[in-house]
Amino acid sequence: MRRCPECSIAIEGAWTHCPLCAAPVVGAAVPSPLPTVPLTFSRRRLLKVLFLTSIAVIAGSLAAQLLLGHKPEGFGVLRSGWLGVTAMWLVVLMAVRKRRNVAKGTIYLVVLIGLVCVYWDYLTGWRAWSLTYALPIVCASSIAALLITVRAMRFEATEHILDSGLAAVLGLAPIVFLAFGWVTYPLPSALCGGFSILALVLLQLARGREVRLELARRLHV
Amino acid sequence: MTHRDWVRLDNASNIFLAARSAADPKVFRLSAEVDHDVDPELLQQALDETYDRYRLYHAVLQSGLFWYYLQDSDLHPLVTADEQHTCAPIYQAGRRNLLFRVVHHRRRISLEVFHALSDGTGAAWFLSDLVNAYIRLRHPDSDRSPQLEDSTGAHEAPAEPVHGLSIDSFADYFHQRHQSPASGSVFSRAARSATSSFVNSSPSPADRWKISRLRRPADKKVHRVGGTRTPDNRTRAVELTMPTDAVLGLARAADVSLTMYLTALFFESIRISSGGLGRARTLAASVPVNLRQFFPSESARNFFATVRVEHTYGRGEDDLGSICKQLESQFLPQATHEALEKKLRWFIRVERMPGLRIMPRPLKDVILGMANRHSNRGLSVAVSNLGRMSLPEPADSHVGRVLFHVSAVRPQFCATSHAGLLAVSFTSPFVETDHIREFTRMLTAEGVDVTVAAERVTEQEIAEGRS
Repeated sequence: MRRCPECSIAIEGAWTHCPLCAAPVVGAAVPSPLPTVPLTFSRRRLLKVLFLTSIAVIAGSLAAQLLLGHKPEGFGVLRSGWLGVTAMWLVVLMAVRKRRNVAKGTIYLVVLIGLVCVYWDYLTGWRAWSLTYALPIVCASSIAALLITVRAMRFEATEHILDSGLAAVLGLAPIVFLAFGWVTYPLPSALCGGFSILALVLLQLARGREVRLELARRLHV
Repeated sequence: MTHRDWVRLDNASNIFLAARSAADPKVFRLSAEVDHDVDPELLQQALDETYDRYRLYHAVLQSGLFWYYLQDSDLHPLVTADEQHTCAPIYQAGRRNLLFRVVHHRRRISLEVFHALSDGTGAAWFLSDLVNAYIRLRHPDSDRSPQLEDSTGAHEAPAEPVHGLSIDSFADYFHQRHQSPASGSVFSRAARSATSSFVNSSPSPADRWKISRLRRPADKKVHRVGGTRTPDNRTRAVELTMPTDAVLGLARAADVSLTMYLTALFFESIRISSGGLGRARTLAASVPVNLRQFFPSESARNFFATVRVEHTYGRGEDDLGSICKQLESQFLPQATHEALEKKLRWFIRVERMPGLRIMPRPLKDVILGMANRHSNRGLSVAVSNLGRMSLPEPADSHVGRVLFHVSAVRPQFCATSHAGLLAVSFTSPFVETDHIREFTRMLTAEGVDVTVAAERVTEQEIAEGRS
């Protein structure tokens, strides 16, 4: 074993200088009981900076659109393209960020896409296309998407059940739009609402107990 | 599909979630050094066997709206070569992974645990069973007699898997009004907090007042040790191995416990390496006390309380012997059944405060984080002595050193002894080892043989180690 004459200690491992006092060591080396691990660099900080910058740029873009007015005549190709890119960036960012929990990520996306559509509709002079078509389609698709994902990815019930339930509840929103007369054509909202009710009934029948247990767990005080 | 068992994480464990950072992921490592290079396949078999019996270790950490949960899982742990630095992060929010890992390097079998799952004593049970299972597989001949003993019932082994999810020692000791829905299952029994059987006698207002008086006086400025952070935030670990008897002899000569003797040495080495401490002349250490000694519990969950001891230089006698005595006189009254019970009651009261309970979990994290930062400001170092490890046979005769590392936000040491060897492992988020040098030189000056092994942390050291 190597020795440091300054500290009068024995040293395990092939140190050429004492790890405590940096003086040269003497003697033959024995293997260290600890492995030599190369430096690792975490990308977490970089990703955090990228995420926050993206959110700032997206929020700035959306705010700038508001300042440019919300009349259909002022909304040309350029602004459409800009808004499209911003919306796409937002969706990709959230999808990547929530990639580890697909069910929860789907809920996030439904809410974000819904808000972006309503905002876009508002910027282009409010013709209610977002509430009439976009939202019912997004909500109904999310329920279908979750049904498929849950089967394909063999999720455990606890992982998705509340998010699936939430997706079905969100799907009831178009019925509200319909009831308040906010839509120009009733069929998409009615279909989406019906689909959601069906999903909720099935969830209650097939997994009612699990939903309650899961709610009790997540909301345990 | 069955619903998974779960138990709520107590505040004592929650604080590890709130307090974890890049430099201190709140992970600790227990290693046992066997008498040959570890056989990974046998170790995997031994792990499978042990893992089946420790239901708590099946847990993954999940978050609810108000609390974190330990939830049972079907995950399966794999033994790997030790390719990460010591105490590398384990828990990452949003990932459903086990809260421990088993690695091996040369002769060492190491168990790394996220501190929210278990404490040093709980992990020591797991490690000793793991190592024993491994040694039995490795030396099938040595197995006969203990097996026979077991079958005749002379050796009382638990008839069913214990160490499951539910024993939250704190809750177990004090109170268990709010049983989790899964309170009857193996997992929940094993994972229940340990304080839950301690209830019903709420302390008098006078006791409460005394607890609030534990606050430190404002006039003593606590010295905090600084340094250069390691390049990738890894823990700088330096292991000192020495004959237990020699150091015990020194502690006896000073007429104090080993822990307090080593703490006093630590204070002296900080004073010398910092060039006299500067203006902040109080050194304070936090010392965890294993509560199972006072409140018997089978729980492998966190069940410890910390005691704070301090010494202010320049006010009276500052020689090593006097510091030892002073520390011991502060430590002993705090480490009694009554004092610890008071502390525990306070913990439980906080745990049950309605205002805190309905507070959403992210907010709890912020508050616990602030409480942790506040207590950090009053501490210079931390010291943890797991004491003498005793392993079952046949493991005991095949294991040499047992080592204990903890990821650290401040310089710290952890001690444990086995086979006549005391291993004092210093960990720190800083590159500097000056305090360890002084510590070692004081021991060698007393004639103690010290062997040093150090984790390579700087680019230069790593380049040298890999060449």
